[in-house]
Amino acid sequence: MLSVQERAHIAQVWDLIAGQEALFGAELLRRLFTVYPSTKVYFRHLGDHPDEVQLLNHGQRMLQAVGVAVQYMDNLRAVLSPLADLHAQVLRVDPTNFPLVIQCFQVVLASHLQGEFTVEMQAAWDKFLTGIAVVLTEKYR
Amino acid sequence: MLTAEEKTSVTALFGKVKVDEVGGEALGRLLVVYPWTQRFFEHFGDLSTADAVMGNPQVKAHGKKVLESFSDGLKHLDDLKGAFAKLSELHCDKLHVDPENFRLLGNVLVVVLARRFGGEFTPELQASFQKVVTGVANALAHRYH
Repeated sequence: MLSVQERAHIAQVWDLIAGQEALFGAELLRRLFTVYPSTKVYFRHLGDHPDEVQLLNHGQRMLQAVGVAVQYMDNLRAVLSPLADLHAQVLRVDPTNFPLVIQCFQVVLASHLQGEFTVEMQAAWDKFLTGIAVVLTEKYR
Repeated sequence: MLTAEEKTSVTALFGKVKVDEVGGEALGRLLVVYPWTQRFFEHFGDLSTADAVMGNPQVKAHGKKVLESFSDGLKHLDDLKGAFAKLSELHCDKLHVDPENFRLLGNVLVVVLARRFGGEFTPELQASFQKVVTGVANALAHRYH
């Protein structure tokens, strides 16, 4: 599904953000909650007004999972299976929310990488994140 | 839709936008990231690679036209449906464009703004701009029948 060049672009971008999962994750969540406030219903455990520490902690968990997906991008179904179970049985996030996370993810990448964020990187990451979303919602029914 | 404060911040940021460059970049990125959107631009010549698309003079020219129209829309944030009524009819009756494409282009435009403005493109500014692009997309879809 992912071409050789797409895999390279995905890895290249990850190299630029690896080690900063908490920071990027926190910003992702901050943008998600600000731009699409309805998504907060899925994060009630963070409270009505999540503080920086909570965003960093939860953001780090989410981005670390993305890092695992990058490492095993040839076998997403197997490596994300426990997360797919979690989303199907516990979290039950409506599938329409994943494009919202993806949009915020692209904005985070674009605003941090700026001149380095090529159209090929944007295309590869859109495809990659969409693939992750497909796997995470696959066991819903 | 937007508070007075949001309108001010949106207009201020957009005032710094190089309309002729950003339009072409947004349209180009749309065509590369979502290649099925190329279905409306088969007469544009070479769209075979990312470089071909981003360098294509027709893509740049059309992108500029689209963003100029979007710019005009920003002056009518209180009546986007009225402002885009004619363009809506055009996109339905003559161009036959699925309105989903307006949403995709709006999202790509937001990503392009983030790329150009970096940290200045705060979550709050993103939120305001997403409201604007949604409003424009809805206005363009409004006259479909």
